[in-house]
Amino acid sequence: MPLNVRWLLNKNKGRDNPKRFRFCHTGQSLILSLSCLVVVYASFIFICQLSLSAQENQISSEGPVEILKFATGSESKTEYDKSVRTFLVKHCVSCHGPKKIEGERLDLTSLDPDMKSSTSGARWAMVLEKLTLGEMPPKSKPRPLDEELVAVGRWAHAEAKRAGRPFTRRAAYNNGNSIPHTVLFNPRNIPSFDGGPSIRRISPEIYFAFTNDLAKNQVGIAQPFSHEGQNTFKDTGAPRMDEPVTAQLLQNALVIVEAQTAHKIEGGMVKGNMPKEISTLFNPKSMPSSMEMELAIVKQFEIVLKRAPTAEEKLRFVGLMKKNIDEAGQTVGVRFTLAAVLLQSEAVFRMEMGTGAPDVKGRIRLAPREIAYSLAYALTDKRPDAELLAAAANGGLATDEGVARQVHRMLESPKLEKPRILRFFREYFAYDRAIEVFKDDKGALNHPGHHARSLVEDTDQLVLLILERDSEVLRELLTTNKSFVAYKSAATIKKQRAEAFAKYESELKKDPKKFENKTYKPPGQSIYESYGLKDFPDQQPVELPANERSGILTQPSWLVAHSTSFDNHAIHRGKWIRERLLGNVVPDVPITVDAQLPNTPEKTLRERMAVTQQAYCWKCHQLMNDLAYPLEQYDHFGRFRIEEQVLDLEATAKNIDKKGKSAGPVMLNVKLNTAGVIAHVGDPSLEGNIGNPAELMKKLAASERVEQVFVRHALRYWLGRNESPGDAASLQSIHKAYRNSGGSMKSLISTLLSSESFLYRMPESRK
Amino acid sequence: MFIDRRNALKTLGLSAGATFLSPMMAKIEVQAAGKPMTAKRFIFVVESNGVRPEQLAPVGLKRESRKQEAFNGPAQLLDVPLADKELPFSLEPINPWKDKITIVQGLSGRVCGGGHSNNFQALGAWGGGRGNGGESMAILGETIDGALAKALPGIFPHIGLGISKRTENNVIYNISAIGANKGLPTMVNPLNAYSTLFGIVADGAAKQEFTAKNNLLDFLKDDLKKAGANIAGAEKEQFQAYLETFETLRNRQSSLNEIKHTLREKGPVVSDKYRSAIETDRLDAQFDLGAAALICGLTNVLTLSSAAGIRDFDITFKGLGLNIDKHSIGHGGTFQGKTWFDLYNIIRRYHFDLIAGLMKKLEKVPEGNGTMLDNTVIVYLSDGAEGHHSRCWEWPMVVIGNIGGKLKTGRYVDYPGYGQKGHRTTANMYLTLLHLAGFKRDTFGMPDPTLKDLDQTGPLAELFV
Repeated sequence: MPLNVRWLLNKNKGRDNPKRFRFCHTGQSLILSLSCLVVVYASFIFICQLSLSAQENQISSEGPVEILKFATGSESKTEYDKSVRTFLVKHCVSCHGPKKIEGERLDLTSLDPDMKSSTSGARWAMVLEKLTLGEMPPKSKPRPLDEELVAVGRWAHAEAKRAGRPFTRRAAYNNGNSIPHTVLFNPRNIPSFDGGPSIRRISPEIYFAFTNDLAKNQVGIAQPFSHEGQNTFKDTGAPRMDEPVTAQLLQNALVIVEAQTAHKIEGGMVKGNMPKEISTLFNPKSMPSSMEMELAIVKQFEIVLKRAPTAEEKLRFVGLMKKNIDEAGQTVGVRFTLAAVLLQSEAVFRMEMGTGAPDVKGRIRLAPREIAYSLAYALTDKRPDAELLAAAANGGLATDEGVARQVHRMLESPKLEKPRILRFFREYFAYDRAIEVFKDDKGALNHPGHHARSLVEDTDQLVLLILERDSEVLRELLTTNKSFVAYKSAATIKKQRAEAFAKYESELKKDPKKFENKTYKPPGQSIYESYGLKDFPDQQPVELPANERSGILTQPSWLVAHSTSFDNHAIHRGKWIRERLLGNVVPDVPITVDAQLPNTPEKTLRERMAVTQQAYCWKCHQLMNDLAYPLEQYDHFGRFRIEEQVLDLEATAKNIDKKGKSAGPVMLNVKLNTAGVIAHVGDPSLEGNIGNPAELMKKLAASERVEQVFVRHALRYWLGRNESPGDAASLQSIHKAYRNSGGSMKSLISTLLSSESFLYRMPESRK
Repeated sequence: MFIDRRNALKTLGLSAGATFLSPMMAKIEVQAAGKPMTAKRFIFVVESNGVRPEQLAPVGLKRESRKQEAFNGPAQLLDVPLADKELPFSLEPINPWKDKITIVQGLSGRVCGGGHSNNFQALGAWGGGRGNGGESMAILGETIDGALAKALPGIFPHIGLGISKRTENNVIYNISAIGANKGLPTMVNPLNAYSTLFGIVADGAAKQEFTAKNNLLDFLKDDLKKAGANIAGAEKEQFQAYLETFETLRNRQSSLNEIKHTLREKGPVVSDKYRSAIETDRLDAQFDLGAAALICGLTNVLTLSSAAGIRDFDITFKGLGLNIDKHSIGHGGTFQGKTWFDLYNIIRRYHFDLIAGLMKKLEKVPEGNGTMLDNTVIVYLSDGAEGHHSRCWEWPMVVIGNIGGKLKTGRYVDYPGYGQKGHRTTANMYLTLLHLAGFKRDTFGMPDPTLKDLDQTGPLAELFV
């Protein structure tokens, strides 16, 4: 099937998109859907890209689409009057016009077409999104022609660009699935590569390793960076670089240089632990010469940036040092100049710009040094090791095979710590968020054995075990009934308990009276209860009953991470499965929705969630609820259960002490319902009714689509950006390598890190 | 900075204990800093874990927490003068200013969603839209302190100081925002906060360092301009923002340099509290810093966060001798015979001790025909609204000050129940503050869809003279 731009513009013809329902046409919802502003600005870009790639592949059914550019507001206005105003009048204004319809507050005739001098840009982005997703005009109205839609999109995009606020694809870092699955995984129609140059701020972890490398554990160095917190993966996007961040970077640089150059002057000599080239600068008897300054700068570049300065850099830095020494004295002047090296943009940002002439496909390859850094940061938090740098210097990274060799070396090196791999699984499954969910372990479901950190460590260990075997990794992750159980503390607590019990027994024997009316309480937390066991196991991992546990989603850590303080969180769970396994899009919560379940503890979660079945809510909730219901098999601590407990209102009311005060809640067992449905995926092989979690996981694990969605997430994580249509070739080759290797993660990673998407960039002008 | 920081601080310690500048000098300094003579200042003190409504009523006035449902309170506004009432236990430290206090009860903030903390939503009066339990970290817009910072810019438009239970933290983002997805920092390490705000003094005689720092900033600015020339798209924006921070820092260096004398005279004394592992010490230090920052004219908007935010709210106040964390207290925990009710009160009283200390300092500084305190409003509230597991049916607040007599103070005001005619929300409180600042807006945050039949716009008219 040729790449069809048309269905993108007309949702109703879409085959792969779950949002085939009208989402937002209940009056005020449109204007208030601020949440939509953070959604997919990508859509339009995507259209352009598709149009372009269609052009390049010469399969276009639409004819070439020329990208508009406005130099002035009046140029833009002319185009607006020509293409947009009439469109609005024809398709929109009867509802979204000056005539106020009940509850309606969006008047498109008064939405300022000048995005530069007004704040209408975000609103226009939303309008565009509604149009491109086919949510507007509503189904009952005639469809606009594709040409009309494209014209509106071209105008809006060009005007946004003129306003200096382009609808770039970065807005969608937490919404990477907006590119439909079939576009990326259709082997017969592969859009050409479109990944642009990138500059990313280094992650907090990389920065920490960097400063530790230069001045280990130096007091006064603080972490200036933090993760944005809203993206699927932490190290993506273009996080804010605001003033406290810069101030901290500056302070850290000065502290590091101070530590680097700590010295005393004894007998007119500099005594300190620093390279000779640098200590010379502090010689109290003479001011450093230009040559000495240059040598010191070369040294500092080598230490900090692992490269030699260019001739121009030498000149500039020597100039700065001279000026500084002149105006601020020798010691201060030298130190502030050396600190400037630590603040070079390449010490703060990861540059992946590419170098050299474009190849036949118009791509440029990353510079060998850029590749060395990218590979190092892909697997570790540290700067490239000597071998990588050597390979960069002697042409070892000039070919894809050379890159694959280095990746292989790093993957196989037991000495090289590779925290980034486990981090991928942590962030993908997000089970480590269990630590952030506060649980009332003395509440109605009383579970003093709850220990979130331990649960996360257990799942970490399980992931590592599966990675160690490196066979059918995803399938194992989704179905294994193996589990670690408090693996770090089990042996210790067990020993403590045995000793404590022996002591108790011997004291009991000596003086039974002392223990009358007392029950023995063993030391330590009974963490094993989270896994449905009666004691800590002797061997780790253990096999739990296969009907009880089936992969990461049934690990207590994951279940807790996707729960609230008091409840399972079926909505988040369903959203997770929908997005990260099925690869569909769940729209953001409209702002008008008072997103709360009724506070009725006498009802089951499923009953309380009935409020989401109102037509307006159900449009989105049908994507989530039914996927998560099988996981009602567990309580909100992640314990397997066969009955659900709800509050017994009557018995609780009667449960009073002598003074008439409440003596606490009384719970009632009710029948558990774990029936669920997989639907609206765009892949009939997956869809159908589900009876329990094991069945759900088995079905998901067997799906090729799920495997491909996993690969998409891996690409997203390792590129630090969402996939675009031009990543299709890379994605397909990565998936193929994974499948052909029998589900090897190593194979997946090394193909990814030597893929086109990883190693090449398309210059902006070509895009 | 390099010469001898410790000694520089010692010297400072000797001089900064001295009395404040004479009124005349202060005026000259203030004018030199380019500030109007009657600045308006807003301080937010945000304590975690909720403020129980029953604990803010004056002695003798029975007030229960309202039920978590519509029409949960009276149909009429309750307005009681405080003059002949005794303040509740936890508010006793501010008794000397009883005529300047408004205790405000009965406001709701249902859009925020509730939970253990409402994070940014608490001062934003909008909802994170993230479902049951609230606790969203989403930043959907400006918070009130951010809005005021834009309205009343200072050398630092906004200063956020606070404590985190995680002592390794330096700067965190969880309570204040200048706009959508733009959190404002809360500096939670007093030493680093000191160096950001008063570093120019700590650098002491290091005029050399000042010069070298300026040279460095200029150099890096040029460097960045060159490096950023070939970038496009989102990264360009990020790069541009980074570049601007160098310009801001450079400009601020100049502004700070101009008032260096003031900073040296009136800056705080760095003590062991600044680097203490005990949370009360650090909070004391932050209140010190905050007061000094206001007095030196560094800012007009200050937010003091006592472990606000979902990651910190369960802090333990060991410094008060309490070996029980706030989460446990919220769940009815007791400690050495004290009930959760007592413990809430003890911790809040400590905060009002700090507030009283801050007020005293502001009261000592003459300004216009009165003192700095006359032009300052302090708002105390919790990011956790009305309780440990809040649903934001109520949001008790204490407002101190009247900005030159604009508010009718010395009162206990309790708004009608949720959904009753005359019921108001936290957004209306924030609009009141904006009106006080001279910015007469009608809407703030997000309207509560359930209250669509009520007027949710405008300030709390009842609070004005």
